[in-house]
Parts: sequence; structure tokens; C-alpha cells
Amino acid sequence: MEKEMISLDKLLPFIQFGLFIKIGFLAIDLFFILFLLIAVRQVFAMDTIVNDASNGVIIKGSVILLLLLSISLFLTALVIL
Amino acid sequence: MPDIFVAEPKEKEATVPEMPYVLEKQTDSGGPIPIIQPPINTTNPVHLFSAFKKNPDGITFRDQEGEETILLFIRHSFITNIRWVLFGIFLAILPILVSLSLGFFQNPLPSLPIKYYFMIEAFYYLIIAAYFYINFITWHFNIALVTDKRIIDINFSNLVYKDVAATKLNLVQDVSFAQVGAIRTFFDYGDVLVQTAGTLDNFTFESAPQPENIVHIIEDLIGKRNDIFR
Repeated sequence: MEKEMISLDKLLPFIQFGLFIKIGFLAIDLFFILFLLIAVRQVFAMDTIVNDASNGVIIKGSVILLLLLSISLFLTALVIL
Repeated sequence: MPDIFVAEPKEKEATVPEMPYVLEKQTDSGGPIPIIQPPINTTNPVHLFSAFKKNPDGITFRDQEGEETILLFIRHSFITNIRWVLFGIFLAILPILVSLSLGFFQNPLPSLPIKYYFMIEAFYYLIIAAYFYINFITWHFNIALVTDKRIIDINFSNLVYKDVAATKLNLVQDVSFAQVGAIRTFFDYGDVLVQTAGTLDNFTFESAPQPENIVHIIEDLIGKRNDIFR
């Protein structure tokens, strides 16, 4: 019984530390997603100002890909951390 | 009344087909069958990394008039991107350098499960990808257009700042360029200054490739070719 108490005492700070990292990671990733949403909006706005028929798809596709990756990273962190 | 001269009807001359074709297959009788190819693409598209293009195709801009034609498409010279590209590469290899150096010294990092390191590293590389992307679009959307009617300068920086300015060609008074430094001379880029009449703002195309060529083209358009130094 005493041994279990000791091991829990050792484990508890780590759990708190892990939780702290998880919350911090999710918060930063959330800000990053918001930043990318602004990027998406600006790219689409610029595309209306100057439309490049041949490269517009690549530019818009890249920012959407980045956004999807960051959202999937957020969800992954939410589940596994 | 007898005709003095009657022109003989000419046989219709063989016309050159508009569509290019090649002779590839043989028929059973041995004669070739013309295989019509799709028309050769004569368009002049602006590539993803193009910084200078005459008569570009596939580019349109807001408020473009029906018969307005883009004559020049200008971005900053691509060599101006070298700084952030190198810094981005350095950031990309930094974790490898850190992990190598930690092999020599005592690891100061707290012992965390591997999943934490994996997530942090994935996020780090995502930020680097975003760094590359934001810098690229900052370069990509900084455009100057010279049409047959006006000059348009589109500035885009820091993701949230965009500015579109235009002036008609008949308001342009003078065009000049400055190419200072060995690197600019070697890579042939410089600043083009377009001076407009009155209180209107002047335009500066910074780090534009082939500045002398740009100046000549605009001078031709405004009918003021400066032949003093030619």
C-alpha cells in the first residue's frame, strides 16, 4: 500500500506536467489555425484582385493543405497527448 | 460580241491546313493517315516563379477593362527570396543539429514520452512550412502590371497589408531606374521609378528584374523614348 502511494506521488507531477504541455500545445495550435484561416482569407482576397489562372490552384491548394494539416495535428494532440 | 479575253478559271490552290498534323500511321494500302494533333499551345503563361513576363496570358485583375491588355508582368526578382529560403532551410535542419549536439552533451530536456516529442516536432515543421508559404505568397502577390492603358502596382506584405494603386499612362511623366550594387548588377535587377504628374503618388517597382528593359517599354508606351544614352 505504501509502495503504491509512493509511485502515485511520483506519477502525479508528471501527469500534471503532461496536462500542462497538452493544454499549451493545443492553445498554440489553435492560434496557428486561426493564423492560417487569416492566410486563407487573404490568399482568396488577393486572388480576386489578381487572378492567375495557371498558378492560382497551387497557391490556394497549398494554404488549404496547411490548414488541414494543422487541424489534423490539433485533433491528434487532443486524442493522444 | 466576241470576248477578247476570257480568263481561265484557276484551280483552287492547295491551302495549308490550319491544324498541324503529323504522318504516323500507315493504311493497308500503304498511304499515311494524317493524325491531327491538338493545336500547339501558343499561350504565354506566367509560371509560379516568374518575375518578369512580356504579354502574359492567363492573368486578369480586378477592374480590368474589356479590351485592356497586360503588356508587362513584374514581380521582385526571384533572387531576393534567397535570404528567407536559406533561413528556412537552416530552421528545418536545426532539430537535426540539436539532436546531434545532444549526443555529445548531457540531455537537458525533460524525459517525456516519445509521442510528445513527435507532436512538437510535427508542429515545428508545420510552422516552418507556413513560414515558407507566407514568405512565398508575400513575394508572389507583390505585382506590378503594365497594361496598354495604365500601370498597376499591387503591394502585399505581412499577410494583412495590401495596397493597390493605379495610374493612367498619360499621367506618367518620367520613368527611370536605379541599379546599385554588385549583386543587383550581376543578377540584373533594380528599382524602377515611375513619376506621375502633379500630386499623384509615384510608383516604385522595387527589385524588378531587367529594369532597363522595363523603362524602355514604359517609355515606348508613353511616347517618350530617351535616346540620349543609347
